[in-house]
Amino acid sequence: MATKRGDRVERLTNLLALLLETPEPLTQVQITAELAPHYPDGARARRGAFERDKAALRDLGVPIDIETVDAGSEAGSSRYRIQRRKYELADLQLEVDEMRALQVAVAAVRSGSSAGRDAIWKLGGELSSGDRLPVSAVVPDRPELPVLRAAVASRSPIRFGYRGESRHVEPYGLLLRGGFWYVVGHDRDRGEQRTFRVDRFGSDSLEAGEPDSFERPPSFDPRDAFPADPKQIGHAPADGVEAMVRIDVTRAAAIERELGADRVLARHPDGSVDVTVPATNLAAFRSWVLGLLDHAVVLGPDDVRDGIVSWLRELSGRAAS
Amino acid sequence: MSGPRRAEERLGRLLVMLPWLMEVGEVPLADVAARYDLPESEVQEDLELVAMCGLPPFVDEMIDVFVDDGIVFVGIPRLFTRPLRLTAPEGFSLLASARAAMELPGADPDGPLGRGLRKLASALSDVGVHSDVADSSDDTAGVAIDLARPALTDDLAEAVAENAELRITYYSPARDELGERTIVPRHVFADSGNWYVVADDESSGQRRTFRIDRIESVVATGRSVETTEPIAAPGQFFTDADVPRAVIRLAPAAQWVVEQYPVDDVRDVDGRPGWVEVRLPVATPRWLTRLLIRLGPDAVVVEPDGMAADVAAMAAQVLAAYTR
Repeated sequence: MATKRGDRVERLTNLLALLLETPEPLTQVQITAELAPHYPDGARARRGAFERDKAALRDLGVPIDIETVDAGSEAGSSRYRIQRRKYELADLQLEVDEMRALQVAVAAVRSGSSAGRDAIWKLGGELSSGDRLPVSAVVPDRPELPVLRAAVASRSPIRFGYRGESRHVEPYGLLLRGGFWYVVGHDRDRGEQRTFRVDRFGSDSLEAGEPDSFERPPSFDPRDAFPADPKQIGHAPADGVEAMVRIDVTRAAAIERELGADRVLARHPDGSVDVTVPATNLAAFRSWVLGLLDHAVVLGPDDVRDGIVSWLRELSGRAAS
Repeated sequence: MSGPRRAEERLGRLLVMLPWLMEVGEVPLADVAARYDLPESEVQEDLELVAMCGLPPFVDEMIDVFVDDGIVFVGIPRLFTRPLRLTAPEGFSLLASARAAMELPGADPDGPLGRGLRKLASALSDVGVHSDVADSSDDTAGVAIDLARPALTDDLAEAVAENAELRITYYSPARDELGERTIVPRHVFADSGNWYVVADDESSGQRRTFRIDRIESVVATGRSVETTEPIAAPGQFFTDADVPRAVIRLAPAAQWVVEQYPVDDVRDVDGRPGWVEVRLPVATPRWLTRLLIRLGPDAVVVEPDGMAADVAAMAAQVLAAYTR
């Protein structure tokens, strides 16, 4: 006979089989009567055990339909069943090489969750250890992501806590960039498009509203909607202020790669290069050039150079104060 | 495996295992155990248990499976012939993995992965709450992954495949200098916005990790060096708890720091509206000094003590470059 621990597995399996195979939805009383030896004797204990089992099946992702009986002696009580077409995995019609490619993808992407592996198993695939793959990537996992993806797909507005405020957003898309997940969408309270970092959401605060509540802008791509990053300084429009910066030999090659060779104005015998860099956003420019420390010197225009020099004077004098 | 598995977990694994077993019909128990990452004894126990399950009045064998002499046999499939649909986290994880893999060097949008991904994306919108299929202009299914990589990444990935030895020029931020090294790349990976190469470093005789955007140039030596050592997947060493922490207060203008670097904690500062206090890992003191130079008056260090002197010294050093 099975162990006590096994009894729960057996009971859940039988409950699942019954709900899948029943031609008519069943009430809790009918279900626990059918599976009588598994469930406790008292009516309250029976209901409690059934509720726990129902929750366990739902946690596994089993879709249980509920309908309310509207006439007869059981009017008002709930009836349950599982529809096979909702329960079963749709056949993705994957070719052998496509399945293999997905297996390799899951092996090559580490997220700290086993969900990808479980998905491969359900699709009938097998996971290799990934030890010998030439390339891989770490993609962070966040519990909010499946909910957000569903909200994006179904055009459901979301509500969440962000830096101590409640936000109400129409999510257009999700983007992983620079190691962080972002949701890009229309902020209903502010009437503007905004970008939010998913790992800054308040804990347990995410809720999705009614589907089909908004229109996504046509051909929206979160990669283009992302706000300008101070690091992407080389991609700013060319009509603003341009600063000339000398980069020494240590960092010259890297900076030329970052900005593009067309931004190199002069190359010197000692290996240093002069480059032109957009400085319309002065704060972003300053942050970028100071990040290079003494490997970069601003040559002009004078007001930009003076700004950097006085910033450094201020900082170098701080120790004395 | 630590401790007994929960009933839900065991049932979940069985619902994955049974359809596969029904398809193969007969398979060594050891293979099933290896495939699903479980001890043989547990697989056997679970299969024997589920063989007793079925429908009231439990006289018919609805789940016809038994284990004999190390072989699993399956009879006529009746129940649980198809796997349970993907859960939302499983669907997301698979989609995100496939999209990330499409961003890796060598990925072909028209190859098997690209085709598999398109089938997956359309199936997921079907089984999801809602259909995305009508919007044919959307090939992202709402999820985009950007693993933009330095130009040399592809060359390094190719070197991995060919066991090719390379001569590289590498900028070491700790020493703040360019140096030459001879390496044999073993693995290339992306983590937290950067790309790295794990390589056998000739001078130290050890396996080292290099950030690819700090590699200035690469020249093949023409030698090829095989390895027998397994290449362990690199761990999460960049968010290591052992790395020392700093606590800094940031003005609104400096709060890009929170978006750009991993931080443990962000909180408001009493009496300074708009300012936040963050706790963040500091890889090297030089990195923190450099950050403070960039932030200037928009940052105030709470911990560690004594940073002001380092910042002043570094600022003076940079200033000297302007007066040379």
